[in-house]
Amino acid sequence: MDDIKELNLDEDKASSNKPVELPAELRNTRIKEHGAIDFLAIAAFFLLITPLLSVHRVTDFMIFCIFAMSFDLLYGYMGRLSFGQMLYLGTGAYGCGLFIKYIGGNPLLAILIGIAFAGLLAMLLGLIIVRTTGACFALINLAFNQIGFFLVLSPLRNITRGEDGFGISASKLGFLNFGSRPIMFAFVLLSLLVVFYLLRRLTSSPYGIMIRSIKEDETRVRFLGYNTFLYKWLTFVLAGSIAGFAGSLNALNYNYVNPNAMDVHSNVGVVFACLIGGAGYLYGAIVGGVIYMVISNFLPIYIYRWEMFLGFSLLIIVFRFRMGVWGYIQRFWEYLIRSKIVPRFMKKEGI
Amino acid sequence: MVYTIFYGLTIGAILYFISIGLSLTFGTMRVINFAHTITYTIGVYVLITLVNFFKWPFPLGAILAILAVIPVGYIIERFIIRRLYGESLDYTFIATFAVALIGVDAIKWIWGARPYPISDPIGKYLMFWGLSLPIYRILIVMIAILLFFALNIFFKKTIVGKIVVAALEDKDGVRCLGINVDKYFSIVFILGSALAALGGVLYAPMSSVHPYMGLSVLLLCFAVVIVGGMGNLNGTFLSAFALGMVMSLTARYWPQGAETMVFIVMAIVLIFRPIDI
Repeated sequence: MDDIKELNLDEDKASSNKPVELPAELRNTRIKEHGAIDFLAIAAFFLLITPLLSVHRVTDFMIFCIFAMSFDLLYGYMGRLSFGQMLYLGTGAYGCGLFIKYIGGNPLLAILIGIAFAGLLAMLLGLIIVRTTGACFALINLAFNQIGFFLVLSPLRNITRGEDGFGISASKLGFLNFGSRPIMFAFVLLSLLVVFYLLRRLTSSPYGIMIRSIKEDETRVRFLGYNTFLYKWLTFVLAGSIAGFAGSLNALNYNYVNPNAMDVHSNVGVVFACLIGGAGYLYGAIVGGVIYMVISNFLPIYIYRWEMFLGFSLLIIVFRFRMGVWGYIQRFWEYLIRSKIVPRFMKKEGI
Repeated sequence: MVYTIFYGLTIGAILYFISIGLSLTFGTMRVINFAHTITYTIGVYVLITLVNFFKWPFPLGAILAILAVIPVGYIIERFIIRRLYGESLDYTFIATFAVALIGVDAIKWIWGARPYPISDPIGKYLMFWGLSLPIYRILIVMIAILLFFALNIFFKKTIVGKIVVAALEDKDGVRCLGINVDKYFSIVFILGSALAALGGVLYAPMSSVHPYMGLSVLLLCFAVVIVGGMGNLNGTFLSAFALGMVMSLTARYWPQGAETMVFIVMAIVLIFRPIDI
C-alpha cells in the first residue's frame, strides 16, 4: 500500500514544478493518463452499460458517482472519514427542490442554488468540523447529519412537507428539458466529466499535494508553515458543494425530494463505494460507485439479506482488500510497465 | 419540573450504562466501537423473547439477557476488534460499523422488523409530597449510582481494574511489564458489552424495541463520551447525567428537539475543546 502512495505522490510531483527523473516510456504513459482519453473512456463506459440497464438507472449511477467522488476527495485524498456526507447531498436536493417549488422553474438556476446551499452549509459547519480529526470527525459529521435530517423532518415541516416530501417540475430551457430522459442522461454525463476534470486538475496540483500531505502527517505540514486549517476547510467546502451538486441532480432526476435524501443510514453506501473502488483514486470512486449501485439495485432481487452481504463485504475490504478494485488495477498496470522497462534499463546501465 | 429532573436522571442513567463500554473501549484499544449497538440490541431481544414468549419473570430474563450478550461480545472482540489494534481509526470505524450492519440484519432475520412492546415490570408508583414517581425509574437511577461506585472500586482496588487503568494511560508501558494486555482488553470489552446490555434491558420498557434502536442511542452515547472525555470514567458519569438533563429539559419545552439538543451541546464542546484523536 505504501509504495502505491509514494507512486501517487511522484505523479503529483511530475505535474508540479519539481522535476522528477523518469524514463521516457513512463512519462508517456503518464501524459496519456491525463489526456482526453480519460473522458472518452468514462463516457464510453457509461454509454456502453446503458443498453444493458436503462437510461434512468444509468443516470442514477452517474449521479452517485459524482457523490462518491466528492466523498473520495474528503476521505481518499485528505484522509478524513466523514459519516455525514449525505447531509450535503440532501441540502443540495432540498435547495434545488425548494427553489423550483417556491421561486421559479429554471433548472440551471436551481442547481446553482442547490450547490450554494450545500456549499454555505459546509462553510459554516466546516469551521467546527474541520478542527477535529479521525473518529471525532466522522462522529461529528454523523451528528450534524442527524440534526439536518431531524430539522427537515419536523421543525421545517411547513416548508419541506416533512416525511412525505414534495414533487417538483422544472421548466424547459430551450432544448434543455430535464423531463426527457436522454437529455437528463447527457447533462449528468457532462456534469460527471466536468467534476472529474475539475477534481483531476485539483488533485494533481500543488493544492492536491498539500491535502495528501495532510493525510500523511498533518503536524509536519503545519511545521512547514502551511495553514492546514485553510486547506482542510477548502477541501471540506469543495466536497460539500460537489455533494450538493449531486443532490440537485438527484432532485431533478427524480422530480421529487424527500428526507431519504438525507438519511443517516445511507452514508454507509458511499463509504462502501469509495473503499471497494479504491480510496484515493478518482477512477476508484467511479468504479466503486457503479459497483455499489449495481449491488444495491440488483442484489436485493436475488439476496434478501443484502445488508448483511454489505457488512461482510465491508469486513473483507477492511481486512484483506484495502486498495480496492482500482488500486489493484493500477498496481497491475504499473507492474506491466515496470516488467517491460526494468530489464531494458538494467541492460543500458550494464548491471 | 420535578418530573423533568427525574426523567433526566433516568435517561442519564441509561446513557451512563451504555457509554461506559464505549469510553473504555476507546480509552484502552483506540477503537470506536459501533458494534456496541449490537450487544445492546441483542440483549433487549433476548429479554423480549424470554419475557414475552416464555413468560419468564423480568429480573430473571434481564440477568439471562445480560449473560447471553457475553459470548457475543467475546466473538466480536476475538474476531474483529483484536485484529484492529493499532490500525487507523477509520478502518476500525468501518469494520465495527459493518459488524453493526450484519447484526441488525441478523436481528431482522430472526425476530422480524416489527417493533415489540414490553411493559413496565414493576408498574407501581412511589407517592410522596403529592408526586408519584415510578419505582422502576427510581430503581434505574439507584443502579446507576451503585454501578458508579462499584466501578470505581473495581478500577481502584482490584488488580484487573488497576491494570486496565494503567493501560488507559500507557498501553506499551503495561505491556513492557510482561502483562498480557490483550487479555485484559478482552475482559474490558466484555464488561462494556454486558453493561450495554444492562442499559438496553433497563431502557426497553420505556422505549419501543426495533432492530434499529441501537443506532440512535449509540449516537447519543458517542456524544456522552465526547463530552465526558474519551476513556475518562468519572467524566462519562457526569456528562451522561448532564446530557440526560439537557434532553429532558429540552423535551419539556420542545419535545422533538431533545436528541438534537444533545448534538448541539456536543458541537459546542468540540468548538471549545477539540479532541485530537
